Amino acid sequence: MEKGARPNWDNPMQFLLACISYAVGLGNVWRFPYLCQMHGGGGFLIPYLLMLFLEGMPLFYLELAIGQRMRLGSIGAWTAISPYLGGVGLAGVVTSLYLCLYYNIINAWSFWYLFHSFQSALPWADCPINSNRTGPVEECEMATPTQYFFYRETLDISSSIEENGDIHTGQALCLLLAWVITYLFIIRGIKSTGKVVYFTATFPYVVLFIYLIRGITLHGAINGVKYMFTPKMEQLANPTTWINAATQIFFSLGLGFGSLIAFASYNQYNNNIEFQAIIVSLINSGTSIFASFVTFAIYGFKATINYENCLERTRLLLLNAFNLAEDSVTIDSVFEWIEKLNTTYPQQFDIIANKLENCDLESELNTAVEGTGLAFIVYSEAIKYMPLPQLWSVLYFIMLLLLGLGSMLGNITAIITPLQDFKVASRMSNELFSGLVCLFCLLLGLGFTTSSGNYWFTMFNDYGATLSLLVVVLIEVITVSYIYGIKRFEKDIEDMLGHRPNWYWKIMWAGTSPLLLIVLLISYIINYIQGGAPTYQAWNIELVSVGFISSPL
Amino acid sequence: MLEKVSFLLLSFTLAEQLCKPGDPDGYKVRLSIKTALGENAYVWNDNEMFLFRATLAFAMTKQFDGQQFEVSDIIVCNQTARVSFWFVVTYPHNKTLVDKQVVERAVRKSRNRINSAFLLSDTTLEFIGIPPTLATPVNPSTPTWLIVFGVVMGAVCAGIIVVLVVSLVQRKRKKNETNEDTQVKTVENGAARDGVYYMSFSEDESSVTQM
Repeated sequence: MEKGARPNWDNPMQFLLACISYAVGLGNVWRFPYLCQMHGGGGFLIPYLLMLFLEGMPLFYLELAIGQRMRLGSIGAWTAISPYLGGVGLAGVVTSLYLCLYYNIINAWSFWYLFHSFQSALPWADCPINSNRTGPVEECEMATPTQYFFYRETLDISSSIEENGDIHTGQALCLLLAWVITYLFIIRGIKSTGKVVYFTATFPYVVLFIYLIRGITLHGAINGVKYMFTPKMEQLANPTTWINAATQIFFSLGLGFGSLIAFASYNQYNNNIEFQAIIVSLINSGTSIFASFVTFAIYGFKATINYENCLERTRLLLLNAFNLAEDSVTIDSVFEWIEKLNTTYPQQFDIIANKLENCDLESELNTAVEGTGLAFIVYSEAIKYMPLPQLWSVLYFIMLLLLGLGSMLGNITAIITPLQDFKVASRMSNELFSGLVCLFCLLLGLGFTTSSGNYWFTMFNDYGATLSLLVVVLIEVITVSYIYGIKRFEKDIEDMLGHRPNWYWKIMWAGTSPLLLIVLLISYIINYIQGGAPTYQAWNIELVSVGFISSPL
Repeated sequence: MLEKVSFLLLSFTLAEQLCKPGDPDGYKVRLSIKTALGENAYVWNDNEMFLFRATLAFAMTKQFDGQQFEVSDIIVCNQTARVSFWFVVTYPHNKTLVDKQVVERAVRKSRNRINSAFLLSDTTLEFIGIPPTLATPVNPSTPTWLIVFGVVMGAVCAGIIVVLVVSLVQRKRKKNETNEDTQVKTVENGAARDGVYYMSFSEDESSVTQM
């Protein structure tokens, strides 16, 4: 190997798995099921799959083609297309940097939960006892044990973004571990990444499959699955549904960061990216649907358990208040007894009326959650009710870790590859340069381990990448279609693959995808303006609940 | 004979009067036998009530250490189908009510024994107003999570060191090879005017990797 020759993937399978590992990430598990629930269950698949063909696949193919043709990272590739467009690549690198800063915190949380699963009783199963040993800690009693574990023991969260506390040592250690593992995976560039992706791309599917079998055999899982898949077709008339479908496809595939360009730049010149682009996009969407099936089975189980616990508490309340024999009121007859007692002893009933909870299965299922709340609170609550919860907890958090680390690989490569194209960085060895980037991100990322860290995380997550990615990809597709020219691009692809892209690709690149992106951009801006002062959810220590606070920005 | 009967009746009614639901010195007890034992649940009858009174007498005696409480000192009233009832405790010699706090301390001290007598637990045999003392949480000296963290961190750091060392060794080996190549190359440059030097025809086989 000559000094300075570009490294290659060992085989096309490594590249394919790297793309899958990058694209299939946490969003497939915690964002898609939420959207599915919000926008009419099974009916949401229609706009979702349509958008996949209208914008997902064409844009994915576009980025891969650019990377493979130019054989440079995003900055170099765009500069080669036109010297004025180097900024597009730079924007991608900066966005990837933002993402790298905050994304590894999620992996740190996954590590924290994973390590805490090696106990006989899961720490989020019960409330810890207060110092007097008279009962559970008050904050935990008012919330739920899973919420308490997440907000107090994992995050040690403050009440607002202005109140910065100390760095949570446990979190900092887990973040350090996350970065050390990331460094190990990218230490030799794609030579090491290529071997790691065999595991990070495939093992999550093993876990998802195991969870699917476990999930559908759980008590009450069928409630959740039925609830999710019952299509509510009237949601299709709502334009937000279509916008959300398009946005989800766009962000789920990881376009615009430059990761795809970076990965593809290590390909052999005539690697068949057309076929691979189709495969990866289909696998990504398929995984979302598969994961939401599992998620809803788990939802159904959790909702049924909560509903039955509610009924049990009501039953006890009735028994204790009216001193009835234990077997007179059963769980099934709770509602009849409420009616009976209300009519026969109205005064006595009034005394307990305010303690009576409203047990409703529908409303339990209706609590749609997304994001970290779903992954760390809802799922861990469901896991603690399963038999042998430690095993399921370990499996689940390993899956989250692999999904998160797989996406991190792509984002870190998106930073390192373009910078290494510059002679300044290439004088350093790969290992040293990668180490410096990881160290830099680790030090800045420590800010997310403070008490207000979760609020900063939310801010980065909601605003750090969304607008810039839309703009970057819009410029990318317009450049390739009109400035570089579709004809020249066609010839390049023919040169690489041996055949020209057919009319479907050309129409999407030149027409549909740019139009869709413009619509998304406009709707994002409108939403932003109409939203008024941005708000964020904060943990209110007095009320022990999550409420909305206006952002100080 | 009549006096004996009237004395018994009097003490009985006196006892009844001592025990009232809502009495400031009394406690309400609630048992959830079917919840705790399911199919093995026993029926609550007078025998069980006697056992309760005896157990409580035991608890009081244990607390006081000198005075011997009898079953008759534990007075029970207002039994319901739930299996809940009120009880008060009187001193053995003068039939005055024992203070609420004293009873609480006694019950707390022997709570485990009372529970085991009925095969129940703190949640299924409730003394309303006496919260159970919860077990001390077990706090190992090193938190378990730190141990797992240490193992994983150690493995990853070892992996990094191995990879770095291997690549360093490989780089040194390659540098030695290229040093030998450049020696041959300078010969080539010197001989450039004489002709073209093809490395593949070089007789110096040792610098070329044996296939």
